[in-house]
Amino acid sequence: MRIVELSINGTKRKVIIRDHDVLLDVIRENANLTGTKRGCDIGSCGACTVQIDGVARLSCLTLAHEAIGHEVTTIEGLKDADRLHPVQAAFEHAGGSQCGFCTPGFLMTSSALLNENPHPTRDEIKEAISSNICRCTGYVKIVKAIEEAAGV
Amino acid sequence: MDYLKPTTLEDAFDAIESNDGAMFIAGGTDMYVQMRVGRKKPRSLVSLRNVDELRGIDVGKDIVIGAAANVGEIMDCSAIKEKLPALWDSAQVLGSPQIRNTATLAGNLCNASPGADMAPPLYVYGAKVELRSREGTRTLDVEDFLLGPGKTALKPGEVVTKIVIPAPAANLRSGFMRKGRVKMDIAIVIVSAAAEIESGAARNVRLCAGAVAPTPVRLRNFENLLEGRTLTQELVESSLFAVQDDINPIDDVRSSAEYRRALVPVYAKRLLLSMVG
Repeated sequence: MRIVELSINGTKRKVIIRDHDVLLDVIRENANLTGTKRGCDIGSCGACTVQIDGVARLSCLTLAHEAIGHEVTTIEGLKDADRLHPVQAAFEHAGGSQCGFCTPGFLMTSSALLNENPHPTRDEIKEAISSNICRCTGYVKIVKAIEEAAGV
Repeated sequence: MDYLKPTTLEDAFDAIESNDGAMFIAGGTDMYVQMRVGRKKPRSLVSLRNVDELRGIDVGKDIVIGAAANVGEIMDCSAIKEKLPALWDSAQVLGSPQIRNTATLAGNLCNASPGADMAPPLYVYGAKVELRSREGTRTLDVEDFLLGPGKTALKPGEVVTKIVIPAPAANLRSGFMRKGRVKMDIAIVIVSAAAEIESGAARNVRLCAGAVAPTPVRLRNFENLLEGRTLTQELVESSLFAVQDDINPIDDVRSSAEYRRALVPVYAKRLLLSMVG
């Protein structure tokens, strides 16, 4: 056990971690940010996606240790004050979410895509979200929502 | 378990020596899964991520990929995309975008999976693996590095520092094909091919297949029938029988051995004909 400082959503927090704790556990259990979901826990479903320095990463396959000194963004930190991030607004508008469990992961993946590539093609969107599994929507409205957010 | 983050190789060697049961770790995308399911229980991990001399990709005459460089960096490297398309294509199918932002090429090799996506291109490009320990540095052909499922030539206390891909000849053509159920799945069959095409004739013909033997395997019997000759459809088709002597696939949850035996020659032929076509 040791106390370390993590920067999550722009706030520095002191958290107690064990060296083998993955970031997902620390975000959910220590920082009480439960928007980040545990799906498969083995890097296959994308539900736990967060951004580290703006890049989409799997928090179930990242040790909390590896996030020290980097900026972690979770779904709770995606919106700007009270304004939804464009991907959030587009998911709401286009119906990109049904049961909602996978949605935080999709939003973190797709906002990271738009950071890097503001005007992705449909194929680039599909490639980017190939890491995220949704069992409700059939993906059509998710792709549509990301296109809407990108202003395509 | 302790997690140690040395910033120099010397400190990394200190860390591995002073911690019993310690393992080196780079991206961790496979190791952390193995740990989660209880298949691997390292007492401590020595992370290579912050070791400066292992980072990045150096594009000079040769292309040198540091052991801490992640697969996303490989995809972002325009020299690799242009000169080593088979390696670039193999990067593109490894795991998912999030996995690629973390996983490393060196880790993909050290894992020594028979179906490692990025290994076959390294075989056809004649890549070398640099290993370092307190005792010094040695360099192995990638073929001598991978010894079997989960087995590499790494000795205790030794670490992969870089993967060196010799400068490809201007007339080198190469390609990569992979069959998986969906992209995220582990490969059923991988084939990579390279050859220098000189006034119609193919020289230094190299093919390598993955997921069809305990390690990736060069298709040497097949290569020998093609070396120095013009890669016509007739020649390739009439030589394909030799592929069967080079591979030794098994039945498993992903595919039957029979299907793998059927698929390797199909991919070998498609690759070679697209390289000359």
